[in-house]
Amino acid sequence: MNDDTWKIGGKILSSRLLIGSALYPSPANMEDAIKISKAQIVTVSLRRQAAGDTHSKGGNQFWDIIKSLEIEVLPNTAGSHSAKEAITTARMAREVFGTNWVKLEVIGDQYNLQPDPFETVKAAEVLIKEGFEVFPYTTDDLVVAKRLADVGCKILMPWGSMIGSGKGLMNPDNLTAIRKQFPDLQLVVDAGIGKPSHATQAMELGYDGVLLNSAIALAQDPVKMADAFRVAVEAGRLGYEAGTMKERAFASPSTPTIGTPFWHQFD
Amino acid sequence: MIEVIVNGTRTSIPNGLTVKETIKALEYKGKGFSLALNGTFVAIATYETTMVKDNDSLEILAPVQGG
Repeated sequence: MNDDTWKIGGKILSSRLLIGSALYPSPANMEDAIKISKAQIVTVSLRRQAAGDTHSKGGNQFWDIIKSLEIEVLPNTAGSHSAKEAITTARMAREVFGTNWVKLEVIGDQYNLQPDPFETVKAAEVLIKEGFEVFPYTTDDLVVAKRLADVGCKILMPWGSMIGSGKGLMNPDNLTAIRKQFPDLQLVVDAGIGKPSHATQAMELGYDGVLLNSAIALAQDPVKMADAFRVAVEAGRLGYEAGTMKERAFASPSTPTIGTPFWHQFD
Repeated sequence: MIEVIVNGTRTSIPNGLTVKETIKALEYKGKGFSLALNGTFVAIATYETTMVKDNDSLEILAPVQGG
């Protein structure tokens, strides 16, 4: 039984898995996956709404499901390419979703969806002054992390690898450096997770949480995969808390050598 | 009539409307959306006092799935 809790954005939570709500085969599948994952934070977004029909593009049906789950929503600013766009989107999201949480996402390159560190820092500074709890999506660059912390971010979300790539943790050493540099900030690996073992690895590095979407939604069985990630995140956290053994350069027997039978009798 | 751009599409609305009246004229129903005028967020509380002018650009956004 894992009775681990943590605090993020002023909330005390028991799940360290943050889950996305996009790309599922159906709304029902999304709902089942979120429920079984036991995630307590779900990411959402805003997009243009067609006139005349509030149910167009699944907007309200989707939102009704999310509200019924009674978990925290984390609106993103996905699609923003400048601080100005991200700030406006965050303000709009605060009104619609009724939360001051925002996953700040300012894309700097359309090919690999790498965040723009300059615009992200600029937007974070403005939003924090306006009372937002900013969850900034960033790279694993230590100096960018420092700049975000300097403007008041209490949470950092460095990528594992490119959004939707499923490649896992490209630079675990960089992620470790950020962890060591910021022991008091809440750190969440966001993006690039493809398998449950990737999430476990992130948690073993001492990260406070993992945010993922595609790895669950694009699995052959998203609901089963959501359950797998629940277990993987818990396992990684327990492993981190337990303290892993020191790596050794050479083999070392685990069975006692004293009393070894037939000791060199047949050499 | 004036021309405005709503979610990227140019359309005509009567002159002299507030944001609240514009939303109604465009047949947006219910709640659960948020609005920006020329790239700036417009809070619901100011819909009745914010005027829409010729060539203004409106973004009307609603909740969707996100990662």
